[in-house]
Formats: sequence, structure tokens, C-alpha cells
Amino acid sequence: MMLKRLVSTALVGLVALALLPAGGGAQSSAPIKIGVIEPLSGPVAASGNYVRMGAEIARDWVNARGGVNGRKIELQIEDNKSDPKEAASAAEKLIVRDKVPAIMGAWGSSMTLAAMPKLEEYGVPMVVETSSAASVTKRGNPWVFRISPPSEMEALGLEPYVDKLGVKKVDFLAVNTDWGRGSIQAFGDMLRRKGVQVGAAEFMEQSATDMNAQLTKIKQTGGDTLFLTTAVEQITLVLKQGQEQRLARKIVTTGGSSSPTQLIKQAGAAAEGSYHIVFFMPWFPEAMPDGRLAKAFVDEWTKRGNPFEGLTEGFRGHDGIATIVEAVKLAGRDEPKAIQEALWKVSITGVNGPIKFEKDGPAGKESGQSKPSIFIVQVRDGKVALPDFLKK
Amino acid sequence: MEQLLQHLVNGLVLGGTYALLGIGLTLIFGLMSVVNFAHGEFYTLGAYAAFAALALAGLPFFAALLAAIAAGALLGALCERALLRPLRGHSIDTIMLVMIGVWIAMQNAELLAWGGVARSIPHPFPTAPLTLGPLNIAPLRLFVVLTAAALIGLAWLLIQKTRLGTAMRATFQDRDTAALMGVPIGRIHTLTFAFGAALAAAAGALLGPVFLAYPSMGDLASLKAFSVVILGGLGNLAGATLGGLLLGVAEELGAGYVSSGYRDAVGFVAIILVLLFRPAGLFARAERIG
Amino acid sequence: MIARAAVALGAVAAVSAPLWVANPYHLHVLIMAGIFTILALSLNLLLGYTGQLSLGHAAFFGIGAYTSALLALRLSWSFWLALPAAALASGLAGWAIGRLALKLRGAYFVLVTISFAGVISLVSINWMDLTNGPLGLPGVPPPTLGPWTLRTKTAYWYLVLAGAALTYLVCHRLVTSRIGRALVALRDNEPLAESVGIDGTRYLVLAAVISAAMAGVAGSLYAHYTRFVSPEVFLFSYTVTMVIMVIAGGQGTLAGPVVGALLFTALPEALREAVAWQWQMLAYGVVLVLFVFFLPRGLVPALNDVRRRAAPSRPPLQ
Repeated sequence: MMLKRLVSTALVGLVALALLPAGGGAQSSAPIKIGVIEPLSGPVAASGNYVRMGAEIARDWVNARGGVNGRKIELQIEDNKSDPKEAASAAEKLIVRDKVPAIMGAWGSSMTLAAMPKLEEYGVPMVVETSSAASVTKRGNPWVFRISPPSEMEALGLEPYVDKLGVKKVDFLAVNTDWGRGSIQAFGDMLRRKGVQVGAAEFMEQSATDMNAQLTKIKQTGGDTLFLTTAVEQITLVLKQGQEQRLARKIVTTGGSSSPTQLIKQAGAAAEGSYHIVFFMPWFPEAMPDGRLAKAFVDEWTKRGNPFEGLTEGFRGHDGIATIVEAVKLAGRDEPKAIQEALWKVSITGVNGPIKFEKDGPAGKESGQSKPSIFIVQVRDGKVALPDFLKK
Repeated sequence: MEQLLQHLVNGLVLGGTYALLGIGLTLIFGLMSVVNFAHGEFYTLGAYAAFAALALAGLPFFAALLAAIAAGALLGALCERALLRPLRGHSIDTIMLVMIGVWIAMQNAELLAWGGVARSIPHPFPTAPLTLGPLNIAPLRLFVVLTAAALIGLAWLLIQKTRLGTAMRATFQDRDTAALMGVPIGRIHTLTFAFGAALAAAAGALLGPVFLAYPSMGDLASLKAFSVVILGGLGNLAGATLGGLLLGVAEELGAGYVSSGYRDAVGFVAIILVLLFRPAGLFARAERIG
Repeated sequence: MIARAAVALGAVAAVSAPLWVANPYHLHVLIMAGIFTILALSLNLLLGYTGQLSLGHAAFFGIGAYTSALLALRLSWSFWLALPAAALASGLAGWAIGRLALKLRGAYFVLVTISFAGVISLVSINWMDLTNGPLGLPGVPPPTLGPWTLRTKTAYWYLVLAGAALTYLVCHRLVTSRIGRALVALRDNEPLAESVGIDGTRYLVLAAVISAAMAGVAGSLYAHYTRFVSPEVFLFSYTVTMVIMVIAGGQGTLAGPVVGALLFTALPEALREAVAWQWQMLAYGVVLVLFVFFLPRGLVPALNDVRRRAAPSRPPLQ
């Protein structure tokens, strides 16, 4: 009985805690808070955490150099639990309770889209570091600035190599999300423009582990290349199951999130020969636009004991924070409208390459879209190398 | 034609693994009336236990399997003793809610302990598939199906032929009479739950190397397990086995010939149809346990 | 007496909320709690009063959300027409479930509802032309009332409060009516109830329709508040949350779902404050287990017990 009372009181106490107003105001030497919304739990927890790790490296580097405008920066990290409703809640909390002047997030396109109305409601800018849906920058939301490429841009990045790859007939296998569907659309259009025949377009649920049915169907089409768009775990499974079914095709993975390193580790020989579109090449960082920065990032990441395979996604966290920090510096103060205006003036080189925003979307309410660098690598002899058709 | 055969083979292999998941749950749900939402978490536990044993401790494959089964049994027993026994007599919904809490806690504990990155579990089988005419099947999958069959057989033997099994069946048919006859009710409950959890863990240890180990792998497994249990009839071991195979084949054929996007819908529609026309399960006339 | 005072105090607090809730974020939490209150009340109708558990309730919520969003976006319907249409669509789905599950009870009913929700979820992901699939429906317009747009939180709070109050009233009238008594009779002893002429299936279908329609209303309110609908509304976790609210609050009571909704909307947010992100979900699971352990029949029945113990001369309440 006493225990019941105790527990009930404790629970009421927890609820009261939630309703208490937030703590005191900010002073001029107080740290600048930057909001981060990522999926830290749920099915894509690995990716969200990689981005977080990259963001933390950026924060520490900035603070080691004395901060920005004489103040240190602090990351206010929220978990969107891979759920758009939580992404919107997290954005609300960051803006209203924590009073962050800028946010980075929210990884998945539907999570970003769910958070976007909050940005407009309160007038706070967000740097989008991963989402690939075209609609993110086409909805006329002037508070959105994206540094990751939409699928169309990615497809354009591959276009010059299509002939060299020797693709004549292509099949698609993608995860059944906005990302997978958008990718099939974008790459399909691009390939058709180049005169390539498109065979089958198959889907898999995000949590599916058995793709044998889809692979059996794909085997029948007589194509020579298979484009894969999904997370690294499913790619591993597709490669292994493809090997079991003796599917002899060129494989091209898109989206940049699937680390070839992890594929080699887990799919072994099944990954041999596959091509991968990536936005960061941690295996040869010197080949990146700012080789010195890229190498320093890889070294710091490794020093912290973070898994190597996370680098292909972790750099996004770094570049997102670096972009926001630059905007705060240019604005001279940590005020959301000033930061939004300053973002248009940002011109830096991140780990991926140059970051500079161009107008995208309906006139008068454009969002910002940068043109990130796009690379292709190949798995050869159990290691990641530049593709055989590129003689660099 | 050969496409059809390959689909069938794929379906049977998948179905064998579904059956393994189903028989553990049919004991817990069918006999103990516990809506075990955490069933998939014991499956996940088995996979991670196998990973720890193989990749970290370097044990041989069969030892890892046993380690996984032991881990499942132990945690299952603990769960029953600490959470279910004190709540015995409360409504089925209260028990369900506790298992939901266990589900959330276990999954996030796994996430904390192992991180969100999927783990590949090493295994000693060659990766090149065995080819029988136009069909391909990986040696690992063949092993999984055979081991699953063996475990199902062992479970059946235990329930039907041993005194423990008789005691279990007696307890769940009529608890008071069984108690009067000297059956240790409390221990039977604990053993039954532990047994069901151990089977789920075994499924995880077997399927882990086929796919990958990651914290949320249990969610879909739970759902498929419930489907299999209903298809086969509550408490019906043979039914769960056949139900599992049927679900696997139906899913494969649906994904192959109808649409890969609606793959899981096949399972759902199958359940709805079965429940409409044969609510006691497809194999109602077959041997029932409880 | 105490109960009535508490209810009155609660009502005053609710109506005046925008005045004393300092932080718009907290008002956001209250609005979500309000929407979940409607959902919890609807689930309670089925679970608490007919004894049948629907684990596919998120399907009715989602159908309501999508119906309302699509009508507003594609056909430019006013919110005030879209909302009842959403209730109708969900109610129809509830009728389908009720009829499908004619003779099914207990675990079998649960599984039909899960399967139904699963199919609907997959349809919403794959039927691109209708629902835009995983890309979702952004830009759902907020409700307008004459020249005003209910875009502010305060305005929306009153809308949700009205919806919740209406739902509560409907439940109350239903439960205390002849229909309600028939439902309770069926829950407690179906064969006996049938022997006195109560048609179990007819009442189950009725309860399912009303329950689903209410969930559809909640869905519509959700769609026009968050202004973005995607297949994630069908997530099983929403159903799980509703179930937690009803059972932990106290099923079979009217106050239970309300209390449960408030508590379990506030809890994850409280954990966001109190605990680092790594531990939040784990803490949630542990809190849930402890809660069930110490209050297995739910919070409201436990409070009723306390009250009864304090006033032993009064006859036991129903």
C-alpha cells in the first residue's frame, strides 16, 4: 500500500517535471546551442548515430579553435525515433524549450518533411544533411537548406559513367520508402535518356530480410545491371542471397549511405566487383576536394574508436554543423533570422566538398540546395578502390 | 516451371524458420495464455548470444547454438519468476502490458549494449550454393531447416513422451486437479516459459547467420510467430509446424507472382481467411496439447 | 465529493490552459494528449466494455487521418466536412471488422485486427496513386472558421478539447444506456447474456463501429494539426501506446483512458527532459513494467480503491 503510494507519487512527480518551465535565460558568453534531430533508436539507429558522431567531431574542433564569435557551441541532440511525429515534436521542443537558433536534421525524408512546418511556424532555419526526396527543397519553405543531393542530382552525377559501365539493360531493387522510390524514378529517367532499357523494378519492405522472391524475378529479365537502393544491412542480404541464387550481374548501389567497407566485411566474396555511389571516400581521403580536412576527419574518427564503416555517413554530421557554424559567424549573432540570411552567404569546403546554396523551389520562397560532390568506388580484390573504368 | 520450383524451395526454407518461431510461442500463448509480445526479443537475444559466442569468444558453431539456447532459457525463467508469477491471476491484458514493457526494455537494452549497427554472425558453412538441377540452396539454409526440424521433433518428444511434458499438459488443462495430484505448478509455469523462450532463442541463433543480427530484428519475428500460432491453432505443435511452412510458401509465391511490395499482406490475408472459415486453426483435428 | 471536485478542477484547468501553460511546447504536448485521449476512449469502448482487444486500432486512426487529408488536399473540402467524412470512413472499416469477426472472440479477434491493420498499412505504402505512398501527404490545410484560420496552438487546443469532451460525453451516454449495460453483460458472461436474448454479435459490431469512428475523428484532428500524413500513422507503436494508456489508466472505467492518455503522453516528454537520449526508451520500458507491477488494474481503479477504503460506509460503486 505504502509502496503503491510511493510509486504513484513518483509518477506524478515525473509528469510535473515535464510541465515545469525551462530553466533560465542565456547570457552573452553562454554557449551557442545547435539543435540536432536524428534517428537514434529504431531501425535506422546506426545511421543516425554515425551522423551524431560526425557532428560531435565538428563541435569539438570548433570549440578547440575558440568557438564562434568568442562563444563555445553546444549540441542539443534529440532522437526522432525514426518516426515523423517524433521529428516534429523534437523540432518543437528544440525551438521552443531549448531556444536553439538553428537545427540540423532530420535524416529520413518523411521525418524532415514532418518537421518543416515547425521551421516556418517559428522562423528557425534547418540544415538538411541526408534526406534525398526532391520535395524537401521544392515545397517553398525558405528555412530549409540542404547539403545532401536529391536523387536527381545523384543520377546526374552518375550520368557521365553510364557508357563506361557498359550498362545496356537495368533492373531496380529498392527499399519501399520515399528514398527508394525517388531513387528508382530519378535513375530510371536518367538511364532512359541515355538509351538504356529498364527491366524490372522490385521493392522490399524496410524490415524485410528475405529477398529471394524478388531476386528470382529479376533473374528472369535478362538484364546486365542491378541498381540497389537501400540501407547497408539489406544490401548485405541482397548480395548474399544473390550469390546463393547465382545472380550474375553488375551491381550499383546508390544513396551513399551503404558503406562498402561493411559490405566487404559481412558479404565477403558476394560484394566483389560491385560499384557504389558515395559522397565521401574515407579509403583515399586525399582524393577529396579538401584532402587535408578529409584526412584529419578520418584520423579523428578512428582515434575516437568510431567504427570505420560509419564514415560514409558520419561526414554529413560534420558538414552540417560546419555550415551552421559558418552562418553564425557571418551573422555575428545567434539569432534565427540572421542565421537564415547568412546561410545564403556561406561558401566553405566541407569534408564532402564545396558547400554553397543555390535557390531551389517556387519563386519568392526558395529553399537552399547545395551541389555536393559525387563519387563512385568499386570493390576489387576485397578492398575498396576506384572503379576499373576510371584511369586516374 | 523452374521459377515455381525455386519459389517453393525458398518458401519451405523460410517456412521451416517460421515454424521454429511458432512452436515456442504456441507453448507460451497457447498453454499459458500469455500474450508474449517479447517473444521476438528472445529471438534477438539468441542471435546476439550466438554472435558473442562465435565472434567474441571464438567458440565452435554448435557450442554457440547451445549458449544461445541456454541464454534464452535462463532469461525466460527469470522473466517468469520475477514478473509473471507475482501477477498470476490478473487479467490477460495486465500480463500483456507487462510483456510490452519487457519488449521495450529488452530491445533498447540490446541497442545500448550492441549499438545499432547490424552484426554479421560468422558460420562454418561454405557460401557456394548447392545446385540440384535448376534449384539453388545454400548449405547454411539446409542446415537451418534440418536443425529446426530436429528441435521441433525434440519438443514434440518432450511434450508427448516425458513425465515433464505430461505434467505440463496436465497443468494447462486443469490446474487445480494437477495441483491436487502433486504437480509443482509454479515450476511447470517457469519451465514452460523458459522452454518457449529457449526455442525462440534457438531460432535466432540459427537465423542470425543467415541474415544479420540487429536490435529490432525481433519485431517482425514476433508478428510472424503470432500468425503461425493462429494458423496452426493455439497450443498445437504440429499445427504450428505446418502453419509455419504454409506461411513461408504463401509469402514466397505471393511475392513472386503477385507483388513484392505486398509480400507481408499475404500472411495477413491468410490469417483473416483462416480465422473466418476455420477459427480453431487449419489443423483443428490434429493433435492438441492443451 | 472529492471526485466531483477533482473533475471540476480538471475542467477549469483544461479550459484555461492556454493562459497558464507558459510554453507553447507544453501546449503542443497537451494537444497530442488530447488527441490520444480520444483514441484511448475509443479503444476503451471495445476493450473495457466489450472485453475484446483490438490491436489494429491504429488502422482506424490512420484511415481517418488519410481520409481527412485527401479530401482537404485533393477535393478542397472544408475541415468541417472532412472530419465527419473521416469518422464515416473509419466507422465503415469498424463495421467491416465487426462483421468479419462475427464469431471470433479473444485471441482470434486480436489477430484479425492485427492482420487488418497490417493489410491497410501495406496498401497505404504501395497504392502510390491514392496515398502518395511513403512520400506522404505534406501541406494538409488547417481548419478555417469563417475568416479565421485555426493555425495557432490555442485555437487548436480548444478544437481538440471540444473533440475530447464530445467523445467523453458520447461514451458516457453509451455506457450508461441500455446498450452499455448489454455490452457489460456480454463482457462479463457472454453465454448468459445471450440466453436472455442479447445478440452478442450485433452489439460487438455496434461497439466496433462507434469505436472506429471515434478513432477516425482523432485521425482527422491529427492530420490537420501536424499537417503531414505518412504511412507511419499505421505504425504498430501507436496501437501499443493506446493499449498502454487504456490498461494502465484503467480499462472499463471512463476516467481511466483520460488519465492514461495524459500520463503516457507526458511520460516520454518527461523522460526527454530527465534522461539522456540513450536511456530514454529503456527507461520507458522499465517504468511501464513497474507501473503494471504496482498498479495492475490501472491507476483509476487503484484510486477508486483508496477512496472506497477511506469511506467504508458507502456501498461499493459500480
